[in-house]
Amino acid sequence: MTPPTTGSARIQPLDHKEIVAAPRTLILVGNPNVGKSVLFGALTGKYVTVSNYPGTTVEVTRGSAEIGGGRWHVLDTPGTNNLLPMSEDEQVTRDILLREQEYVCLQVCDAKNLRRGLLLAAQLAEAGVPFALALNMADEAAARGFRIDVDRLSAELGIDAVQTVAVQRTGLPHLLQRIPEARTSRFRPRYDDAIEAAVEEIEPLLPEERLSRRSIALMVLAGDESLRSWLASRVSEANLARLDESRRRLAARYPESLRFVVARQRLAAADRLHEQVVTRGRISAGSTLARRVGAWSTHPLYGIPILLLVLVVAYFFVGVFGAKTAVDFLENAVFYDRVVPWTEALLRWLVPAGPVQEFLVGPPGLSFRDTNGFIIGKYGLVSMGLAYGMAIVLPIVATFFLAFSVLEDSGYLPRLAVMVNKVFKWMGLNGKAVLPMVLGLGCDTMATMTARIMETRKERVIVTLLLALGVPCSAQIAVIFAMLGSLSLAASLWFTGVIILVLFLVGWLAARVIPGRGSDFVLELPPLRVPQFGNVLVKTLARMEWYLREALPLFVLGTLILWGLDRTHMLGLVERAAAPVVVGLLELPEQAASAFILGFLRRDYAAAGLFQIYQPYMTTGTMTRVMEIQVTVALVTVTLFIPCIANFLMILKERGWKTGLAIAAFVLPFSVGVGAGVNILMRRFF
Amino acid sequence: MPALVPGEERCPLCGKVFEAVGQGCRPSCPLARGCRVVCCPSCGYSFPQESGWAGRLKGWLERRKESQG
Repeated sequence: MTPPTTGSARIQPLDHKEIVAAPRTLILVGNPNVGKSVLFGALTGKYVTVSNYPGTTVEVTRGSAEIGGGRWHVLDTPGTNNLLPMSEDEQVTRDILLREQEYVCLQVCDAKNLRRGLLLAAQLAEAGVPFALALNMADEAAARGFRIDVDRLSAELGIDAVQTVAVQRTGLPHLLQRIPEARTSRFRPRYDDAIEAAVEEIEPLLPEERLSRRSIALMVLAGDESLRSWLASRVSEANLARLDESRRRLAARYPESLRFVVARQRLAAADRLHEQVVTRGRISAGSTLARRVGAWSTHPLYGIPILLLVLVVAYFFVGVFGAKTAVDFLENAVFYDRVVPWTEALLRWLVPAGPVQEFLVGPPGLSFRDTNGFIIGKYGLVSMGLAYGMAIVLPIVATFFLAFSVLEDSGYLPRLAVMVNKVFKWMGLNGKAVLPMVLGLGCDTMATMTARIMETRKERVIVTLLLALGVPCSAQIAVIFAMLGSLSLAASLWFTGVIILVLFLVGWLAARVIPGRGSDFVLELPPLRVPQFGNVLVKTLARMEWYLREALPLFVLGTLILWGLDRTHMLGLVERAAAPVVVGLLELPEQAASAFILGFLRRDYAAAGLFQIYQPYMTTGTMTRVMEIQVTVALVTVTLFIPCIANFLMILKERGWKTGLAIAAFVLPFSVGVGAGVNILMRRFF
Repeated sequence: MPALVPGEERCPLCGKVFEAVGQGCRPSCPLARGCRVVCCPSCGYSFPQESGWAGRLKGWLERRKESQG
């Protein structure tokens, strides 16, 4: 074949005549990051051309190799998980297989993640493409306890499978012998009767080219729009209309999209094959129970009690142990009994009495809460900035990160994503939206950027809005847990119910107001396992480091702003200006205004401010009904409050000024409005 | 610029194994400088890279595991 004329060669180009002259073509396909390019390099040597695939920005690499005594043209395709493309990379790979003539494929898969490889192998088999299978990274798979019955795999697929370690060139001679003998696989995933009938019905309408009619029929039924132009040049308009009609009829039978249904049934076939050929050493003993619990955790019914159990355990660990025991120790025993008085004493000793000393630590003989010292004072860098960051928020987020790391290491998070898929779909989103939402529980700023993975503008705007509005970040959720830990169950339910209701309503309305189309999402579930203590510890420490690097400087900045406002007597003015809203509408104490100011920097800082106002009553268990209402109202308002400054800047960058400002203009009055509504309702019905 | 350390990362959400360098997920973030958050190229999930103190702890745990066979 002739190399494309677009794009430029980045590495020393191969003699094009040599490529054209090669009588046979080998196409390397495989999932991303399986060592395909390493294998390509081992086959072709250093003389290759890298160019863009025509009409795209996707690079494909070409070279030539001596295989079985003959010269072969070798083409390395972008990594793909699916021949039903969901990205430009995947479409290029599918188009290469669709348009090239007279080739054989070498599928490279990661032996330690064979399920994903088998899903692609099933599609190559359906497509009727002759191929051989390289089970790459076989050494790593063996080290992790995976044992693959290669002979059985070859027999089941009806093709040659060879274990390789491309980086060491292990298995390559054997693989090279098998490539000229590559043949089509007899493996055929079976779909349910309705799908099989639809395939049978439309197969005769499709052209028989490089990929089998069955394979094209499944792509058409799954709604592969990227195939339309190819079909339009080969199928009459009348038959195109019949294809659309068949697809519509079939789609009406399923609540989910056909893409999802086909992928799920194909994955089930790949899973069955995987079960037959892969065993995993020591871990297989508990794997049956793990698989059962894993299945329950994604079940629409059994999944709910599991989720509730997870939340209750997290609530007690974070809200009771973290927020009460750990905060009480760090805040009082460490900070206010030692760090603050010792720092004050040190500064008074280092700095001679006078205006400088007074500026830093306030006049002697007064409690720091009654002074406005720069380091030690009501808004001092140490007594407030560090105390909030290190003694109030840190122990709470640390316990939360620990709980989150346990969930992450156990493989529960992706199952949570699957379980809430339907809920999000109802809101106009799909399971993919769950990822930014789950991520938002870590950091809304990162999650806002991750909204890029959503395919349509509509989805991206909805996700950004929901993240800005009501998904509390890890630090904030930890402080919320802490405060809920001191409220009655009824008040906690009020808070949870209001936030869930608001998220639902706004998401549901946004899905109907913002134009665009939805998309599908397929997520591979890693096995459920008992969390490893070392992994959990490392993950927690990594998150705590991230928190300290990112949040603490903003806490200090927030304290500086408050201190500056206090010194210039602006804080009183701000509190008085905010009084009609804070005191009049929300019926909160006047000093809650400063907590809301902090909320512009970080929402967890605001929550920490509120936490401090009510902490004495929480600790002694003397919260009154009015206080419970106030805490609930304040928490609702802060949770729905305008996103922190980093998230706000990210929204502006990602979604643009107009959308960003529109989101902020909506969120600010909306949060106060909901808070006021909750206040009225709770005073009446709580 | 994100301050990622070269090395293999495994996504805790989808299980994908990938090289960390080049996967700093938020070069446009106002807090990106020195940031160690890495973004999975497969599913978009972001997580802090286990470098720094966490990396040292991880290395120590791995060495301990190896020495115990």
